[in-house]
Order: sequence, then structure tokens, then C-alpha cells
Amino acid sequence: MNPIFRKLQASFILHSRALDQAALLLRASVSVQLIQGPLTFANERQYRTMPTHGIGRYKHLIPKEAPKKKKERLQMKPIKMATDTEYGTLNVKVSGYDMILVEHYSQYIHNLCNRLGVKVAESYALPTKTMEVVVMAEQGTKMYIDAILKTHERIVQLSQLNATLCPIFMEVFLKNQPEGVQLSVKQHTEAGYLDRFKARPELAGLMAQKLLKGKALPS
Amino acid sequence: MAAPCSKIVSRPWWQFIKNVGWTGLNQTVVRQLSRNNACGAAAQTKSKTERIPSQWKLHGAVCLQRLPVISQERNPIEDQFAELIHQMELERSLVSEHELRLLEDAERVRRKQAEDYDSDEEAEYGDQETITALDQEDAWEQKLKKFQLAPRVSDLEDDHQSVGRCLGDSLVLLTEETLGQEKVWLLPQVPWQAGETLRQTAERALNSLPEADFKATFLGSAPCGVYRYKLPKAVRTESCQGAKVFFFKALLSGHPPPSQNGPFRWVKKSELPDYLKPAYLEKVNRFILDL
Repeated sequence: MNPIFRKLQASFILHSRALDQAALLLRASVSVQLIQGPLTFANERQYRTMPTHGIGRYKHLIPKEAPKKKKERLQMKPIKMATDTEYGTLNVKVSGYDMILVEHYSQYIHNLCNRLGVKVAESYALPTKTMEVVVMAEQGTKMYIDAILKTHERIVQLSQLNATLCPIFMEVFLKNQPEGVQLSVKQHTEAGYLDRFKARPELAGLMAQKLLKGKALPS
Repeated sequence: MAAPCSKIVSRPWWQFIKNVGWTGLNQTVVRQLSRNNACGAAAQTKSKTERIPSQWKLHGAVCLQRLPVISQERNPIEDQFAELIHQMELERSLVSEHELRLLEDAERVRRKQAEDYDSDEEAEYGDQETITALDQEDAWEQKLKKFQLAPRVSDLEDDHQSVGRCLGDSLVLLTEETLGQEKVWLLPQVPWQAGETLRQTAERALNSLPEADFKATFLGSAPCGVYRYKLPKAVRTESCQGAKVFFFKALLSGHPPPSQNGPFRWVKKSELPDYLKPAYLEKVNRFILDL
């Protein structure tokens, strides 16, 4: 019994020493954690009154995003040109004097394309052109305005038109064209894209001046 | 013919490789190649057989349409709805510039006729406007009375020969031809000659119409319809079993001559059953749009 007891005691002592060491380590780690807490690399002292200060912080843990770039200048999307096998980007231009008819017809075309599965790239309006009809009085030099005619234009841009669908498409358009509205289908070009922008006379003047100065200096 | 054949054959070949793997493929490769050869041989024999004239005579026909000139008449429901919407929009709209001018002029006239009127007090007088808004309105009404609108419904409604009938609908051109012993109304057609495309045949059909030159734009090079006609057994020979007619669509462009003499009729889709035979009509109705 005695040697057994002695062995047991020895093992118990060993165990207890191990336990003590383990307990010490644990306490140390726990205390270290308590100290470090949420402020891992700030090395700040924590206040006794605010034990949970900064408990929800996580932004420092996720990878940093690149700073947001400023909005880039509007670039033209590359225009798909027609090849031997494909149509390319087509502009269906609807123009006329009566804005209601023109708009309704362009909406009709857009809806028809959606139904038939033709992809519509863009649908926009070109600036309205105003025409003044001026009449000169028979006796006298005074001219007075007789009428003001405004030409409205709407464009529906199609990107994928099947050649098999094209004749039926065109037939339906032409059969449903209202009076006083002109329809034209053309290819989209860069000139067509630049038509959408307003003319800036001051900028044009400044550019011309710059060119002149540039020419004058070297000579 | 060999190229598409190989594509069709090679697709299952690739799938076979994916499934089976590269082992033991030599046999399959050889087999596929030999199949290719067989395909090529078959194609050659086919083209040889095509040289022998087929038993069907080919014709090209043109479906010439005149597009509607004006919009169609409205239904009674559409009429009522249009009126209602017009009324609503009028009630919700704001006063326009012209109407403002009218109101101002009326005010000015009222002020002038008041007893204690002092012309010097009139602010914003500026130049005396000799033409008031009411005067302008009168002038415009006079102009409108002078303008003559063309009639929507002309006298030519029932004259099936004129192009100017039924301006709200699209019309199709029909000619009369003698086939065998009977006179039949059909779309203008002409037999196909070797060496030309079917679309050229259709164009020739249009140009060969007597006493009328129609300027037309063809819609696409693909035919829009087919009609197969088997000759009655009495007339059938070994070389000619019947005819196949391919239809092409064309739109009338420009102004046609006002009156055409000759066996022509311009008909709406609803009037086609009066002229065409039932079997022919069935095939033709499929591609004539009534939208």
C-alpha cells in the first residue's frame, strides 16, 4: 500500500505542479489579453470606466481599398461597324413637326424591338431645330414672323438586328408610320455621336485663339 | 458540302474522347476519317444527281404592296377614349403664351373703357401694338378657311383597278393569267431561268408586266413564301410533276401612274378570298401582313 500511496502522492504532486504552472500561464495569458483587448496595436491604456471602448471596430482588420477615382470624362463607346456578315449598329431616326406623334412612334418602335428580341442599345433625342417662317409684307419692307416650326428628332439605336427579321421589321414600321413623320435607318457613326452635344461657341473661340497663338510664337 | 459534314461528325467525336479518354482511340479515329470520306463521296454523288433536272418547275413571284398613305379610321371606342383624354389634358394644362396675351388684351380694353382712364398711367405700354392677339386669331382663321384638305375617302373606293383606293390599308397587286384552260388571278409570276437567282426572277416578273412600270424596292433576298402546285394527273409527264412558286416581297416606291389598263387589281387582304383559289390563298395569307 505504501509504495502505491507514495507513487500516487508523487503523481499527485507532479500533477498539481503541472496544474499550477498551467494555471499561472493561463492567468498570465488572460491578463495579457485583458490588457491588450480591442486596442491591439494602438498601445493605449484602457480606462476602467470604459472596458468595452471600441468593441465594434473591424475596419482595421479588412484589407484597405484603393482610393475612389474622380469621375472620368465621358468617353464614346466603341461603335460596332458593319461587316459582310453582320449589320452593326443602326440608327432609326424618327423626325417630324408634331412632337406627340414623333414620340409615340419612337416608343412604338422601341416596344416592338423589345418584343421581337432585337437588342436596343440606346434611345435618345437629338436637339430640337427651330425654323422661323418669315413673311414679307407685299407693300413695304417690314418682315414679320408668320410661323415657328420645330423639328423634333428621336433616335432608337439597334445593336443586333437579324437579317432574317429585317424585312418583316421594316414592313411593320412602314405600315404603321403616322402622317407627318419621317423615318430613316442609317448606320451609326462618330459624327452621329457628336451630334448629340451642344455647340460651345466660347470653347471654340478659345481653342481658335490658342491655335493662333501657337502659330504666332514659333514664327 | 464536305465542310459542314465534318463539323457535324467531329462534334460527337470530341464528346467521345472526353467520355472514353485517349486509350483505344486509334480505331475510332480511323473510323471517323472513313466516315468523313463517305460523307464527301455522298456529297459528290448528290451534286451529280442535282444535274439531272428536277421534276418541279420553279417560278419566281412578286408580292407588290402599296403602303397605306394615311392612318386608319378610329373605332367608336377609340374615338370616345381620344375625346376623353383630350378633355382631361385640356383641363389639366396651363395657360399658353397666346392665351396670356388674349387675357392681357381683354384687360387693357376693359381698363380703357373705364371712366377714370389715364393713358399716362398705363405701365409697360411700350410701342402701341397695332396687331392684337384677337386680330391675329382672325387672320389665322381666314387662312385655315382658304386651305383645302384632301378627302380621306375618295371616289375610287370600289374601283379595284386604281391604286388610290383605300388609303388607310395596304394593297396587293394581282394579275390574271391563263393556266391551262382557265383564267386564274395570281400574284405576278414568271418561270425561273437557269443562271439567275430567284430574286432576279421576281424582279423580272415585275418588269415584264405589260403596260405598267412600277418602281419597287425589294425587301431582302430571301423568299417570304412557297406554293407547291401539282399538275393534274392528265397533264403530268415524267419531267414535269408540278411547279413551285417562291414569293418575294416588294414595296411600291414613288408615285405610280394614276390609271393602269390591263388585268391588274389592287386588293386589300380581306378581299383576297374573292380572287384567289383556296389552296393558293392559304399559302399567300401567311405572309401578307394586315397590321
